[in-house]
Amino acid sequence: MFTACTKNEAVAPETEGKATVTFDAIAGTSDFALNKEFTASGKTWNFTQLRYWVSNVVLVKASGEEFAVPNSFYLIEENNAAETNSTYIYPANKRENVELSGIPAGEYKGIKFSVGVNSKYNDNLSLQAGELSQLNGMTNVSWMWATSYIFSSLKGKVTEGANSKDLAVETGLNANYKSVSLNFPSNVKIGSSKSTTILLNADVTKVTDGVDIMTTPSIGAAQATAMATVAGNYSTKVFSVKSVN
Amino acid sequence: MLKGTYKGLSKGMVILAILSMLSCKKDSMGSPDTEVPLHPVSLAVPANFPQPIPDAYNTLTEEGIALGRKLFYDKRLSASNTLSCASCHHQELAFSDGLALSNIGESRKDLHRHAPALINLAWMQNGFFWDGGSTNLESQAFAPLASEDEMHQNLYELEAELKAVPEYVAQFKKVFGRDINSADIVKAIAQFERTFISGNSRYDRYSRKETGATLSPDELKGLMLVNKHCKGCHAGELFTDDDYHNNGIDGDFSNDALEGLYKGRYRITYKPADLGKYKTPTLRNVMLTAPYMHDGRFATIGDVLTHYAGHVQVSPTTDALLYQDGGKPGIPLTADEKMAIITFLKSLTDESFISNTKLSNPNKQ
Repeated sequence: MFTACTKNEAVAPETEGKATVTFDAIAGTSDFALNKEFTASGKTWNFTQLRYWVSNVVLVKASGEEFAVPNSFYLIEENNAAETNSTYIYPANKRENVELSGIPAGEYKGIKFSVGVNSKYNDNLSLQAGELSQLNGMTNVSWMWATSYIFSSLKGKVTEGANSKDLAVETGLNANYKSVSLNFPSNVKIGSSKSTTILLNADVTKVTDGVDIMTTPSIGAAQATAMATVAGNYSTKVFSVKSVN
Repeated sequence: MLKGTYKGLSKGMVILAILSMLSCKKDSMGSPDTEVPLHPVSLAVPANFPQPIPDAYNTLTEEGIALGRKLFYDKRLSASNTLSCASCHHQELAFSDGLALSNIGESRKDLHRHAPALINLAWMQNGFFWDGGSTNLESQAFAPLASEDEMHQNLYELEAELKAVPEYVAQFKKVFGRDINSADIVKAIAQFERTFISGNSRYDRYSRKETGATLSPDELKGLMLVNKHCKGCHAGELFTDDDYHNNGIDGDFSNDALEGLYKGRYRITYKPADLGKYKTPTLRNVMLTAPYMHDGRFATIGDVLTHYAGHVQVSPTTDALLYQDGGKPGIPLTADEKMAIITFLKSLTDESFISNTKLSNPNKQ
């Protein structure tokens, strides 16, 4: 491939690299798991589903230059098997890794992505890109709000004292499409000579921060203010960088 | 020229298209695997209509329209395989169903919205459903397909059911160049729906000054009254402004039930100015599309005129266009004027639309 004469024949130039981005869910200081009790903010939480679309991933070089990963729409999820109205069952699944390839070699200082689906695709469910699909229950096609994608869904049960509520916290709608911008603790090299791992934490106890969850345990389009708060939490509070190497 | 709802390109252009296919196969219409080129379609736009804006992501082809037509009439598209799109959109009623609120869906429950007539959809650029909850025909189709009170169709199951039909497998491959999937199902249906063109009523022939086309003195009087009192919303030759208005059928939008169902377009935009607003339906074929309003509350066109004449309710979003009674809400109309309007509205019925064999059930021919 490198048949042309170059002055630095001794050093093979770094070419495109790969990186694995892991969206590791946590609940405060504990590792996240379904069907397990966690205590946070004076309440007991037991989750049955965590799902969200990660889209438009951008890696930021030390120089500030940005590499936008093409076609990047990924469904991150931990969910129990669920029955549908037919013999088909949505399978239980845990998915937290996203493999990125074709990344220009270089030093990188951070990552950006969005939670949800941008308006071009959100407004037209027949357009396909990345992992976008109408089949996985992450679209809203009921009459209850616009026919569009569900950006995020956190379900389960929350208990405070003797008071127990079913939890269903969903975000969606173009106004709630928010980006996340995270800096790495130190710059990391991405290139063909090594594979890079970017380990992110997603803290589910931050999802409903600022929402009176015992009075508003079900958040959908009709709870516009609470939904905007949750979308803001996904943008600024839920995600952090655990390690990069 | 207006007999068909669409026409292919001229022979010369088709040959050109084939030649360009030969020189560069990848340039075919999004179907790299097919040998036979698809035939692009330009809609047959009635001479008195504006030009429709083609959909940027779903190019019309004869083959795509034919596939969509088959799907529109196919009962496989419901959970129990007993309902098709046409179950609530009857061609003889300009693709409406004659019911205020249908209960023939899978749950047998009354729906909360009246099935809209499907007319001149290719010109609709400002949302579908009464509250505009879908941005395009493609996305729209997923709602009745999936709603448990309508077709309640599991999409995995639908793909499997259609894949069991060799003819569908071949048609999808030809049109979209890939295996059957739900995105292409709604794309094909949307293509067919964009051919629902109604522009050949007696009024249209009069409007286009076709030889021998006349309207009676009563019809002309009704046309004059419609132009004066109704065209603010039922605008232009499409007889709709494709926009949302509060026409004063309700005056209180505080009911929060059913996630804001009674709040009109506010449910979608969350703008207080959109409380109680619903999409303007076309007046075309209006004598076929009773009952009226988003919930079918008015059984006859006479009831509708009675509402506008004297029962417009006032709220902050009641449309300013309705203040036609010396600064008060309402459209004062004498009994004679109402009769003239109804006489004119009958001239908007398009017999060639409801009898167009290119729009009928292909399985019944």
